[in-house]
Amino acid sequence: MNQIYILCVDDEADVLEAVERDLATMEEVFPLEIASSADEARQVLERIDAQGAELGLIFCDHVMPKETGGEFLSWLDGQPQWKRSRKALLTGQAGLEATVSAINNAGLDFYVSKPWTQEGLLQAAKRLLTDYVISRNIDPLPYMSILDATRLAEHSYKRGLISDT
Amino acid sequence: MKLKTFLGLLVGIAGLLAAIFIPIPGLGLPAQITLGIFILAAVFWIMEPIPIYATSMMVIFLQIMLLSSQGFIFSVRTAPLAEVSVNETGALLVPAESLGEDGSLYLNKSNKALQVVRPSEVVDLGDGTLAVRGEGLNENSLVIADPEHRSITAGATSYTAFYHTLASPIIMLFLGGFALAAAAVKFGLDRSLTRVLLKPFGKRPAMVCLGLMLCTATLSAFMSNTATTAMMMTVVLPIVASISSTDPFRKCVALAIPVAANIGGIATPIGTPPNAVALAALKESGINISFSTWMVMAVPFTIVLLVFAWWVLLALFKPQANTLEIKLAGSFDKSAKAIASYVIFAVTVLLWVTEKLHGISTTMIAFLPVAILPALGVLDKKDIRGFSWEVLWLVGGGISLGLSLKETGLAAWLIGLVSWNSLGALGVIVVFGVVGYLIANLISHTVSATMIMPLAITVGAALAAAGDFNLVASIVSITAIISIAMVLPISTPPNAIAMATGIIETKDMAKVGVIVGVAGVLLAIVCGIAYWPLIVS
Repeated sequence: MNQIYILCVDDEADVLEAVERDLATMEEVFPLEIASSADEARQVLERIDAQGAELGLIFCDHVMPKETGGEFLSWLDGQPQWKRSRKALLTGQAGLEATVSAINNAGLDFYVSKPWTQEGLLQAAKRLLTDYVISRNIDPLPYMSILDATRLAEHSYKRGLISDT
Repeated sequence: MKLKTFLGLLVGIAGLLAAIFIPIPGLGLPAQITLGIFILAAVFWIMEPIPIYATSMMVIFLQIMLLSSQGFIFSVRTAPLAEVSVNETGALLVPAESLGEDGSLYLNKSNKALQVVRPSEVVDLGDGTLAVRGEGLNENSLVIADPEHRSITAGATSYTAFYHTLASPIIMLFLGGFALAAAAVKFGLDRSLTRVLLKPFGKRPAMVCLGLMLCTATLSAFMSNTATTAMMMTVVLPIVASISSTDPFRKCVALAIPVAANIGGIATPIGTPPNAVALAALKESGINISFSTWMVMAVPFTIVLLVFAWWVLLALFKPQANTLEIKLAGSFDKSAKAIASYVIFAVTVLLWVTEKLHGISTTMIAFLPVAILPALGVLDKKDIRGFSWEVLWLVGGGISLGLSLKETGLAAWLIGLVSWNSLGALGVIVVFGVVGYLIANLISHTVSATMIMPLAITVGAALAAAGDFNLVASIVSITAIISIAMVLPISTPPNAIAMATGIIETKDMAKVGVIVGVAGVLLAIVCGIAYWPLIVS
């Protein structure tokens, strides 16, 4: 089983803290990494890559000092090893134009607007990570209890991912 | 590399080398090499430094390289050749030692095969040479100098025999099962059947649980136990979500599915791969069991055990709610291809169970869906790629290993270490059943069957020859026992799926697994001794 990470990028420390708190129940299966800028996020990604691990889901703020979330996600979408990672914009300030651009250029999968509810964020994370596990065609069993078990079970029997031994 | 992987590789390879190089009294070189391969395979299958199907492939590779009459060790290429010449009369002059005790000459036929020639005329010239004449003897003949050379005495089989196991009738039977199951899944026949079958069971929790178990067992008798469990989980999880989180009934349904899937696999020859291993072992002994005979034996056993398991589950996890909400949306797919798949399914199963009427064997009929479903476009190449090919390799490697165990006399030597005659039929079933049950709880059922079956069949055949022992009943009994090993999450893939949902805990599974398993072992032993011998002689 490959380790699948969640990454959260935001320049505000309290946002990172809040995400960490809200996704704490998933931590055991999907460890959360945080970064305060796009550059720091790239370092985290390098580390994840070096471990042979994967990035399942990234939550990224849009308005950040050096590089906006939209720009960073679009760079990420161009990298072959992160292409499949699910990408969510987590923001309260992105205008319509920035959002449209993120959807069109960065393969954005989800939009979380600030402030969010814990339930909403958890549901979004579960749905996006379920999509990720399905798209990767990997053994879904280790993730079943945390993610959408029905969808994972359906996928695994339709694709014959686990067979009788 | 993880320590366990490293240890597995080390112990497996050391076992292979030790068995080959340390002389063992009573074992010939081919049997020692087979023992080495058997040890390597057993260690690899148990410790899993490489995937279990990869071990099966490795077994076949080692066999063709080390054990075949064309391999490194027993090929005629390895035998020294005699100096030969032709005298003025046209007779072939060969050294006297090259003539075998039975008067045969052994020739190396173009480095590929051994040719045995019985000379029509042998004249002793007195100086240690013989003048021989015979068909195919001329100055180009490559006469092997030593008739006692291992390439002659080992009696090694051709490498093609090991390859043939991959296309053995039992593998084809499973291929047919895979084709049927793939078509059923593709057009949702399994889900539609579940919907229809579940309806008469109403909304009372206990009855719903029984309905779910009967559906699961019926489907897993024809499809893979694992695929059935995953499919039934998509039916069960919404039901579980509608039950209060404090109601023990949640655990009851989540456990009912893997238990029923494991038990259901016993019901037909194609239900689960251990059945294939048993059928292959019986076939090697010249016994063919028809689909209907197997079902007549196994179905009553399955039903009794299933009802018992249902009773145990309800006793352990008593439902609190009075009614359950079951929503199963959808309807039968009525497209032309879907209907074609239903018809082929029905026709194949019908032909399987009526073998006695038409006489075409189960394994031949199995090719009907393989040939027809792709022809009708019901299965496309993507569906064919989606078959569990690795399961066929796993079984194929097991059959191939069983072949060498028998042919080299290793199986007979291994079982000769214990005196079985004093045990009788009951003792044999109990010993192999209990050992098989314990192993199968820890490792793959197919692998357990693969390791146990060649030995069980050798003991069984010896006892059967002496009379008063029913080989088929005993083998089916041991196979059923292996299939009901389901104490731990790792015991079977259906168990692993049920655990992965997070609804149950290991101790819940262990409790049910032990109670149903021990009852099943006892039931299988009773059937193997008292009931099944009445059906098969």
